[in-house]
Amino acid sequence: MIVGLALFLTGLAILWTLSALSAHRFVSPWVSRPVFILLLMTVICLLLYKPLDIAVTQLFKNYFNRKKTFRQMTLMNLAEELALVLDLQELANLIVNSFGEVLQLKTVALVVPSRMRSDFEIASAFGWNVSDYRKVRIPDKSALVSLVRKNGPHVQVRERAVRMLSWQDANKLTQDFDALRAGWVIPLYVKDELTGLIAFSSFVPDASFDEADFQFFREFSRSVAKCIYNALSVQELKIANDELQDIQSQLIQSTKIKAIEQLATGIAHEIHNPLTIISGKAQVLLLKKDRSALDQQVEEVLKTIVKQTKRAADITRKLLMFSQGSGAPKESLKLEQILEDTIALVSYQTSLDGIEVTKSIGGGIPQFYANVHELREVFLNLILNAVQSIGSQGRIHVEMSYQAPDEIISIQISDTGPGIDQEHIDKLFNPFFTTRHDAVGLGLFVTKQIVHRYGGSIRVESQKGSGSLFTVRFPYSEASKPMAPREEAVSMTLFPEG
Amino acid sequence: MKKLLVVDDEEEICDFLKTFFEEREFEVQTANSGIQALDSVQAVNPQVVLLDVHMPGMDGMSVLRQIKLRFPLVKVIMVTAIETQEKIEEAMRLGADNYITKPLSLEYLEKDVQEKIGLLTGNV
Repeated sequence: MIVGLALFLTGLAILWTLSALSAHRFVSPWVSRPVFILLLMTVICLLLYKPLDIAVTQLFKNYFNRKKTFRQMTLMNLAEELALVLDLQELANLIVNSFGEVLQLKTVALVVPSRMRSDFEIASAFGWNVSDYRKVRIPDKSALVSLVRKNGPHVQVRERAVRMLSWQDANKLTQDFDALRAGWVIPLYVKDELTGLIAFSSFVPDASFDEADFQFFREFSRSVAKCIYNALSVQELKIANDELQDIQSQLIQSTKIKAIEQLATGIAHEIHNPLTIISGKAQVLLLKKDRSALDQQVEEVLKTIVKQTKRAADITRKLLMFSQGSGAPKESLKLEQILEDTIALVSYQTSLDGIEVTKSIGGGIPQFYANVHELREVFLNLILNAVQSIGSQGRIHVEMSYQAPDEIISIQISDTGPGIDQEHIDKLFNPFFTTRHDAVGLGLFVTKQIVHRYGGSIRVESQKGSGSLFTVRFPYSEASKPMAPREEAVSMTLFPEG
Repeated sequence: MKKLLVVDDEEEICDFLKTFFEEREFEVQTANSGIQALDSVQAVNPQVVLLDVHMPGMDGMSVLRQIKLRFPLVKVIMVTAIETQEKIEEAMRLGADNYITKPLSLEYLEKDVQEKIGLLTGNV
């Protein structure tokens, strides 16, 4: 078209020149004849059309190709550099953003196998909202993945692929393309393994890519696929490593617990006998019928002996409480009653310290089949922990409720104490961890063990300077359903408190 | 006369319990092993036996079984350092009348023993 126009204009120019020349007398008159001019123009057109057409096409091609080659070069350079990126997320972001920006596309999504390998998910996307692409899942058996697996590394063009299928299959494939907002899908293969897909769409719906583009996409995909394969392997290794570390720390923890169990059982057997003798002899004197024989000072000493032997026995009892596991005797309990008794037990201490204890106990709390000592221990430890955290002047709020839909009994204990250092929060439930010089550091550890024994959970939320909140959740499941209380209560308070 | 048998391999424990209950007008016998305990039950015919669970040789559970088999009227209170569901259930199955843990509260123990004797003589 352009070439034709150019030739026509050239012809006109020649015509004009010849007309002008014909006016002179030294030019032969036949030159000015129109037939001659037309003949000359035809000859010129025939001779010059082809070379000119080739030249002009080449000119245009060169201009656009330079631009295209430059883009392709950029992407290939990037693909080489990507080999150094081992983090899947970072890699995915780099690929989609570069691919999208350099080729000026509407959307690009990098699809990779999910962790379970049962489907594909979008690792990163260009031109999408994060919340949108996170939800997308393409099953391994989907029409698109099946098509890609069948056709190997060839770029899948939506319109072309859909046209070749029956309407049902075409419909399924369209849904997959829609889910990825894609018109084209580049499969990423490492050998025979499909490591992912690059799905993209352009701003112009019928934008076409030619064979050379597809050739480039294949080359690009070969480089990118390897990078993704490596990043996926690194990710898998990382996860396996994390799991291994978790198992290791659990093992260490259970070994520690096992050691404490053996220690506690041994101590209980060996120490409780001498404690029984010390405390028993003191009690014999204290409970003597003839009290007049007892000096006031001696009586004080004897009371101290009884009290301190109980304290020593309590330490081993606490240790035993978790080492016994499910062996501890259980009965049907009213948790709200135990909680109220526990609050009453500490009320003297809290009133001395100027600590106000408020409680709110919800209705419909079902009876809980458990060991009374263990549950009392849980409540007492948490409340005492709050008391000790406050020191003096403050408030403790205790809340118990039953969440019927989830069958959860929830107990929350909050205090207005100074809060817990973030570095201490992780260690809070470790055995023998304490920040006080006069404590053993078993309270919260034992509490956690007991709560876990009943399938429950314990959580602490705290910030330095704004108090702490402990939440215990017991599942009221079949395992904890109430049973008829035993006729004879075998549990008892060994000594009156104080 | 109220008769009590204290069985524990720790002599000191037997001693203070003897002192304590004698002051409360009990006739107290002590035994330091299972075999001795069975002999004493036969010889003294006590109303109540305080029986330690963990003893070398014949342990408390075996003694309990024998006592309940041969002298079903004798009340037996088991005494142990460790309280577990299995042990309690075993003791209850064998016919124990109570199960208490060390260190002992003598006030509670006295109340319990008196109660068992009351039950026996119908003077509750």
